[in-house]
Amino acid sequence: MSEHRTDWLGALVVLVALALVPAILGSSYITGIMTVALCFAMWAASWDFMSGLTGRENFGHSLFIGAGAYTAGFLNVNFGASPWWSLAASPLVAVAFSLVIGFPTLRLRGPYFALAMLSGAAVMQSLTIIFSEYTGGQDGLNGLFPFFDSELTQYYLTLFFLAATVTTLRLVANSPWGTILRAIRGDEASCQAAGINVTFYKIASLMISAAFAGLGGALYAHYQLQVGPDLFAVILSINIIIMVYVGGMGSIYGPVGGAILLILLTEALRAFSEYRLWVYTLILMLILFFLPQGLVAPLWRRLRTIAQ
Amino acid sequence: MAEILVYGAVISAIYAMLAVGFTLIFGVARILNLAHGSFYALGAYGVYALTADAHLPLFLAAAVAVLLVALFGVAVERVLVRPLRRSTLAVLMITLAVALMVEQVLLLIFGSEARNVPSMVNATFDVMGADVSGQRLLALSGAIAILSALWFFMQRTRLGAAILAISQDAEAAQYMGIPSDRIFSLVMGLSAGIAAAAGVLVAPFQTVIPGMGLLPLVKAFAIVVVGGLGSIVGSIVGALLLGYTETIIAFKISIEWSQIVSVAAVLLTLILRPAGFFGKRAAF
Amino acid sequence: MRGMGSKFDRGCRSGELAPACLAGAALPPRPQTTARMPVRGSQSCHPHQDNFKEVAMRQRIVSLLAAGAAMALVGSWAGAAFADEKPILIGITTAIQVQVGRDCVDGAKLAIDEINAQGGVNGRKLQMVVADEGEAAAEGPKTGIAAVNKLTGEDHVDVLIGGYDSGVTLAELPHISRAKTIYLGIGSASPSIQQKVKDDYEHYKYIFRVNPINSAKQAKGLLDYITGMLKGQLGYKRIAILGENAKWVQDMVPAMKSGAEAAGLQVPIAEFFDVQTADFSPIFAKVKESGAQYLMIILSHAASDVFVKQWYDAKVPVPIGGIDVKGQDANFFDRVGGKAISEVSTNFVLRAPLTPKTIPWWDSFVKAYNRAPVYTASGGYDAVYIYAGAVKRAGSTDTDAVIKELEKTDYVSARGRVQFDDLHEVKDGPGFVNELFVQWQQNGERKVIWPKEVANGKMIMPPWLVQN
Repeated sequence: MSEHRTDWLGALVVLVALALVPAILGSSYITGIMTVALCFAMWAASWDFMSGLTGRENFGHSLFIGAGAYTAGFLNVNFGASPWWSLAASPLVAVAFSLVIGFPTLRLRGPYFALAMLSGAAVMQSLTIIFSEYTGGQDGLNGLFPFFDSELTQYYLTLFFLAATVTTLRLVANSPWGTILRAIRGDEASCQAAGINVTFYKIASLMISAAFAGLGGALYAHYQLQVGPDLFAVILSINIIIMVYVGGMGSIYGPVGGAILLILLTEALRAFSEYRLWVYTLILMLILFFLPQGLVAPLWRRLRTIAQ
Repeated sequence: MAEILVYGAVISAIYAMLAVGFTLIFGVARILNLAHGSFYALGAYGVYALTADAHLPLFLAAAVAVLLVALFGVAVERVLVRPLRRSTLAVLMITLAVALMVEQVLLLIFGSEARNVPSMVNATFDVMGADVSGQRLLALSGAIAILSALWFFMQRTRLGAAILAISQDAEAAQYMGIPSDRIFSLVMGLSAGIAAAAGVLVAPFQTVIPGMGLLPLVKAFAIVVVGGLGSIVGSIVGALLLGYTETIIAFKISIEWSQIVSVAAVLLTLILRPAGFFGKRAAF
Repeated sequence: MRGMGSKFDRGCRSGELAPACLAGAALPPRPQTTARMPVRGSQSCHPHQDNFKEVAMRQRIVSLLAAGAAMALVGSWAGAAFADEKPILIGITTAIQVQVGRDCVDGAKLAIDEINAQGGVNGRKLQMVVADEGEAAAEGPKTGIAAVNKLTGEDHVDVLIGGYDSGVTLAELPHISRAKTIYLGIGSASPSIQQKVKDDYEHYKYIFRVNPINSAKQAKGLLDYITGMLKGQLGYKRIAILGENAKWVQDMVPAMKSGAEAAGLQVPIAEFFDVQTADFSPIFAKVKESGAQYLMIILSHAASDVFVKQWYDAKVPVPIGGIDVKGQDANFFDRVGGKAISEVSTNFVLRAPLTPKTIPWWDSFVKAYNRAPVYTASGGYDAVYIYAGAVKRAGSTDTDAVIKELEKTDYVSARGRVQFDDLHEVKDGPGFVNELFVQWQQNGERKVIWPKEVANGKMIMPPWLVQN
């Protein structure tokens, strides 16, 4: 079997498993947690597409998530639009944000790009609080409608979009496009010298990343039925980066696994009440200390070798 | 007007203390230290614990706290940062981990409620018609004293010269026989000590809670970006700029808007002049 | 900055990156909030009482571990237990690491223990399941929503009791209503919460508020204080209003301002500040400059410890008072080194003869936990009794039947008599629950100075304003 075909087969198995888990367990709590986990998976995958490929660590991914989520909130709560509009509008608004922030900041390198993105998200968070008349301030916007009354159906909708996201991002990453992005990470100057329009590719990858982050934001908003300034918070971006680390950087599918794993872990540790943070940190440290390349992507590579 | 002048000066002085250490360790060792705010928090908690639990006199407690935090800074550099120094991102992450660990340890020992550190000066003074608490004036003069001492140390001593040499060109300095690893530890200790001193000086009029290190870190970050990463003069100018801008906005517009100044300043600086006012682009 | 990018170019060479990842690992999902409880005993006390509290703290840890074990058991076996012997499950959603949250848990536990000692309700014991809402300022409502979904979807609790942050509670409401589970709010003050019951009874009939009085009514109480006390008794003409930037405060301030102006007072300053604010000197300088004679404050999540200290240290020539949720803590005065002297804060319960139950309840709480309760303790305690009473009258835990009985509640609590209005909102005013204006006085003593009917002390001024 070719590597490629094994990958697709593996993806299919995981997809079926994800589809079956909530149906079998039948607990609305698990379904809800899984829905949240899938949204984080979308955010992690979209982060990995831009930052994992081009090597520019984006510490302000929450900017796009918040933009998408607040778009959904405004449309649904203030204008009474159907939730379905959010699916189109949120990615668009997120892309608009990526253009505004991307042009001035993408020429920056290393910590400067990270810092600029971080401050961009922080500025938006402060603005949502200052303009609380429109944004609801700390409390955010309440009273969003879900896509479906059934939590299970909503879960399947999220799963569908996650599958579409991962497929699209993988296809682009494996195309000549992806090669160019990786080349930019390796040596930007040489790429430029080779006649590649580096700026175009960087902006385009940020736009794609933002679009899926915004889409995830809309799905998240219509599950939580609320949006708030915490969706712009720096800590959200950092959490996503950790998920990508655990999953394995640059693989797109690895971060999906990392996100699902860590969200489930956080919930599983509820029984430890005030000690849950310690236990969570300890587990994370063990994973990362003994598996420096992440957990999910290397695991899959090994499985693939065995399968062949 | 007098209020803006005095309060702006106090805030700027505290900001400068935070930013100088932060920029120093970056300039010398290229360490973006996210645990910098923790040193500040540890300073404040140190003086609290030493007075309330160990019953030391206030000024002795302050000195001991600063010393302990400086040693802690050295330990962090030696054990955690040094093996990773080649990767900026790795250093970023390890120092972030230190910051979180410190916060959790403080939480576990002292709880989430604010702690009270008594004022070192109880009187209130009238400065050009503005009522200013003695502790604030002490913080202002303490900051000026510490920063002047630092300046003297850097300009007039062999060690200071070695530090400056490394920050200008680490490789060349090493060829000249300057032991860079030992200098890095020293600078980390120095930077931690200054941050702790800031924590000690402001503890009586600031919230002493486990998460108190976050905001100063954000401010130090902003100042250092505005002033230019690695530039000591830049960080002091940046501190004055940010401190006074915030104070003026708080007085003239609304205290609500003053919080956004620092992040907006970072964003603008990075877009308009990424190296900051006094940064050297070539350093990167 | 080449190093940063190139590091990962080579795809994480082993060893070198390990500690970096490790560092990342140490990042918890919400670094600010979790794991605060083990020291709760010592954090809530005066330093001199440490030994005394240490014992309490150890007891707490033991009981928490037990509760944790019980939680795990309930989680896995609740469904399998026999129907008749199945205990009535009380789900608590609150921020367990802050004082309002832990008092909610402890208040509810006190009531549950009392009821179980008397044989339970309709032959069934009560059992508590706690789910952490996390601290809103740091975590947003995500953890709270998950907590509600866990208690309703996994533990299948019969009733939810809790809440402390209006934003989180509002975000939880649709999830509570979807789970068709009764919710007795004991901490959040936003009027929008109970407004939902009026707007859409069918969906939101599950929502009740036992405590506190909603913020709109609190605003009216503040206005009474402004017109009756500040203007009427002290003859003040200019006041300033300062509130933290939260929705329930923004709802309140305009009403207070226009009300005060209608009563003939001048309001030169009505401002909001970010909850992160750590330096209040600009605002004090402005207030002083405006010639205001009194500063009304509305603080809940903000750093009121610092606010009070900076006010005292600068000897701001304007007395302060209003809503200060942290200033309601029994140890607040000690925590700020006595600098809260003469600060007035609203409260709902205090060791004073408000009802025949108040002092005995207060003393039994202090006996059980070695610390004085805050308002959520009374809320949690009352909510359990109110729910138990409704179940007893309904003869079952059937949700609709219990709601009908809850609506007929008439229960004398430590705070006053509790009845619900059409919005399932606790009734306030004479004879019911009252908003008390409590002042920190010499040696950290607290006196009720308003309303007149329940006052047990006289108002004092800050020491630097006392004329000889």
